[in-house]
Amino acid sequence: MVFFLCKRFIGLIVLLIALSTLVFFFTRSLPGDSAALYIGGNAKPEQIERARIELGLDKPLIIQYQRYMGRLIHGDMGISLRTHRPVFQDLLEKIPMSFELVFWALLIATVFGVSFGVIAAYFQGSFIDVIIKWFTSAAVSIPIFFFALLLQLLFFNYLGWFPLQGRLDSFLEFTNPVKHITGFSMIDTLISGNFKAFFNVTWHMVLPVAALCIGPWGIIARLTRSSLLDIMQQDYILAARASGISERVLFFYYGLRNALSPVLTVIGLSVALILLATFYVELIFNWPGIGYYALAAIISLDYTALMGVTLMIGTVYVIANTAMDILRRVIDPRIK
Amino acid sequence: MNTRIENTGQNPDSLAGLTVEPILQVQDLNVAFNIPRGKAKILEGVNFDLYPKEILALVGETGSGKSVTAKSVLDLMPGNNRETQGQVLFANKDWLTLSNKEFQSIRGDKISMVFQNPKSSINPIFTLGEQIFRLIRLYLSDQVEDIKQKKQCSQKQAMKIIAREKLNEVGLTDIKRMLKLYASEVSGGMAQRYRIALALISSPEILIADEATSALDVTVQAHILKLMKDLCKNKQTAILFITHDLGIAARICDRIAVMYAGRIVEIAETKKIFSNPLHPYTKGLLKAVPKFGKNEPLSFVPGIIPDLVNPPRGCRFHPRCDQAMEICREQKPESQNIEDNHTVSCFLYLN
Amino acid sequence: MKEKPMETLTNSYEDMAREVSREHRKAKWFQVQLLLKRKAALLSLIILVLALTTALFAPLIAPYPEQGQGIVNLEHRLSPPSSDYILGTDIYGRDLVSRVLYGARISLFGGICIVTFAALIGIPLGLWAGYNEGISGGLILRTVELFLSFPSILIAMAISILIGAGWVTAIIALIVPWWPWYTRLVQGEVLSIKQSLYVEAAQMLGYGKLYIIFRHILPNIMTPVMVLILLDLGPAIIAIGLLSFIGLGTQPPMADWGLMVWEGAPNILSEWWISIVPGCAMFIVVIAFNIFGDALKDVLDSNG
Repeated sequence: MVFFLCKRFIGLIVLLIALSTLVFFFTRSLPGDSAALYIGGNAKPEQIERARIELGLDKPLIIQYQRYMGRLIHGDMGISLRTHRPVFQDLLEKIPMSFELVFWALLIATVFGVSFGVIAAYFQGSFIDVIIKWFTSAAVSIPIFFFALLLQLLFFNYLGWFPLQGRLDSFLEFTNPVKHITGFSMIDTLISGNFKAFFNVTWHMVLPVAALCIGPWGIIARLTRSSLLDIMQQDYILAARASGISERVLFFYYGLRNALSPVLTVIGLSVALILLATFYVELIFNWPGIGYYALAAIISLDYTALMGVTLMIGTVYVIANTAMDILRRVIDPRIK
Repeated sequence: MNTRIENTGQNPDSLAGLTVEPILQVQDLNVAFNIPRGKAKILEGVNFDLYPKEILALVGETGSGKSVTAKSVLDLMPGNNRETQGQVLFANKDWLTLSNKEFQSIRGDKISMVFQNPKSSINPIFTLGEQIFRLIRLYLSDQVEDIKQKKQCSQKQAMKIIAREKLNEVGLTDIKRMLKLYASEVSGGMAQRYRIALALISSPEILIADEATSALDVTVQAHILKLMKDLCKNKQTAILFITHDLGIAARICDRIAVMYAGRIVEIAETKKIFSNPLHPYTKGLLKAVPKFGKNEPLSFVPGIIPDLVNPPRGCRFHPRCDQAMEICREQKPESQNIEDNHTVSCFLYLN
Repeated sequence: MKEKPMETLTNSYEDMAREVSREHRKAKWFQVQLLLKRKAALLSLIILVLALTTALFAPLIAPYPEQGQGIVNLEHRLSPPSSDYILGTDIYGRDLVSRVLYGARISLFGGICIVTFAALIGIPLGLWAGYNEGISGGLILRTVELFLSFPSILIAMAISILIGAGWVTAIIALIVPWWPWYTRLVQGEVLSIKQSLYVEAAQMLGYGKLYIIFRHILPNIMTPVMVLILLDLGPAIIAIGLLSFIGLGTQPPMADWGLMVWEGAPNILSEWWISIVPGCAMFIVVIAFNIFGDALKDVLDSNG
């Protein structure tokens, strides 16, 4: 077991190194003059030249790569061309804000997705199964940007139940500002006893989280249902039934345990899906997180920020998948 | 079927043929499935009795319905598009009238079953120990309590002791290591012994073996067959042995029932089936076994098994039978007792 | 029982084989009927056929074809649905019906393009990698794993940024991370079929590798592949939309559903139809593909 963990860990590092290298060469192939973008506006040629030297763009590619990897190990991802601040600092600020959305979206999608899948499989063929099938079909088919806008239209414009965008009502920004302790607004507001802001922030999170969780919810529900149904057809379930084990135990104990493996895989996949979805959801709901930052970097061709964001997302993805791999190994001894 | 037909391993203690009550009576069992294409009549009027302590073989080719028969006894057939008629009498109750819940509490207790693929019949993500312990808890909880008292040990240790005893009975050793293994880590033979042990935990009166040796190597097959025969003798368990191989049936079974397309066409003691086969299908099966030393062309039964949605009218075998008569096309033959304990369903013998 | 000489033995087996394949063909036709009997599948099929034909004939059907292509009509900008403009007009006054029809051409056919090319590239590679477990096969597998270890859209975004935005480049950028999924599926199926007896038999009879692959293996893996293709079309259409929404795909003044939703987003609260109409179009088409694909999978599975 320990050997397995070490192997996975080394694989992780290798993948991250490969990722960093890929990202580096990718951003160096981008069109546009990074130095000019950095200066911005009407820059004189000498200024651009000075910026080029400052950014180290005059050195040969290999030297740039060495510097880049060297700095990376120390956590230095360069300066954002757009914000003129260290990318690492930018990321550190934005990550907690996105994390709140992603965390709740993943939690809701997993809990409700698995539940829906279990219910649909248990009552296979019945009315409730049909309803759930329709729901999941719609959930996986709806484009995220459309759904987010739709939510704004329905729940803000017509029903007035939830706010349009942002994290906090501007009114409260002045009267009860959120003290910045951990960066996670829900935690910060709770810790500092700022309950008004706590409820307000939570209220603002509902629509974005709803938009983020719907796709994975559908995917997880479908996969849980089909895995369970598939497993209940297996020989070992038939044999256990013949031994006198009750249907309930067969389904809820054996069935679920056996179905856990593919479900974990799809949860890992969902992390990536939700991360990418934040690009769109944060844009539409004006939520200043990683997604928003990434999109701004794409539009302004801010290559340092792009590198940082891609690295970050790639890293999260790889870590999530490795974690799922390890969990699967614990559950299913067949995987060597 | 490539074994030479030799001494039929008839159990001299078999009570078949004497005036003893059968412990299982299947009467006029009809099973039909509603598939999109129509209604597939899989079993049509299956009749047989199983006597205590005997080994009865249910022999037939793929699609003859033998597996469906076995599974119907325990209501293990999957799906809801099913119509079952007839009676399965055991312990003075017609099991087919029982509800699902009632069946759940009876399965595995008095009638157990082992299946064709031993390794895939074991849950792959739980250890062998966990699975046998569950059954021990289910059926032998009193014994567990007893041992806990007597030896002042934990429940797990008590269960281990019982598991050791049960697994030794089927010829397994090194129990301590085995309990920690997973399905993928044992051989087919070991897995089947394990499954037989599981089936015997509740001391059932009947063991149904559905092609239990078909997936095993020939040498392993021989061991498992011997194991089953010994168990039948020692534990007084009747065995319903399902197979497509007449040769294997001959080795351990007291009586053989030949099935074709959802019907039992002939039942008799093993010796009789080989010395005096009556039904044309039985004769064809026996003839199809190649004989060593003889330079004859291969014999076989021409045609394929009938479509069960639109089966042939009359006797289901008549399209392939070279002794078919007019009446065979029109009516279905009833089963007729020809001589002592030899029953056949064929117009050739009906007066 | 008659004892037959060898020639009649083969003849009888041939008869049996012929009978079996006749049954097989009848069964396949029956499956098609079964599929169409399901109301949801039938409805989805109708929607898809409608969508495809209207997209194909957009220049003929669209009420205002020039506007569909991008010509502005500023006097009627931001008009709600009316008798002149059935679904309203967008921020440049262009009729939404025409825009959606023209947008369908890129969204729908772009999606079909992506999946087709991904399959054309991925399937042969998968067949090869599955059948030859040598160095070439291993190389293909490593590449596939590398691609699949990162989210597809991210890769597509990166490529789009590199080669420049536009609907053609978006399609190309999406094909690149898309084909490995086919390779992995096909390779897995081939591996499991390779163990089958009929493949061994063909090998022993001396048939060439390519022949075996195409004549024996390919027909038997078509079922899951077809299902994957059908169920992939929805995500492909959404993927193009995702790229266009952030400006990496179709460029104005051309129409594409994702771009159209983007254009209408600032006005979502007041002139909601500008975003909702193309969004609904995308939603309806994708859900139709998914429902039809699901129904196909159910029918094929239950008879398989």
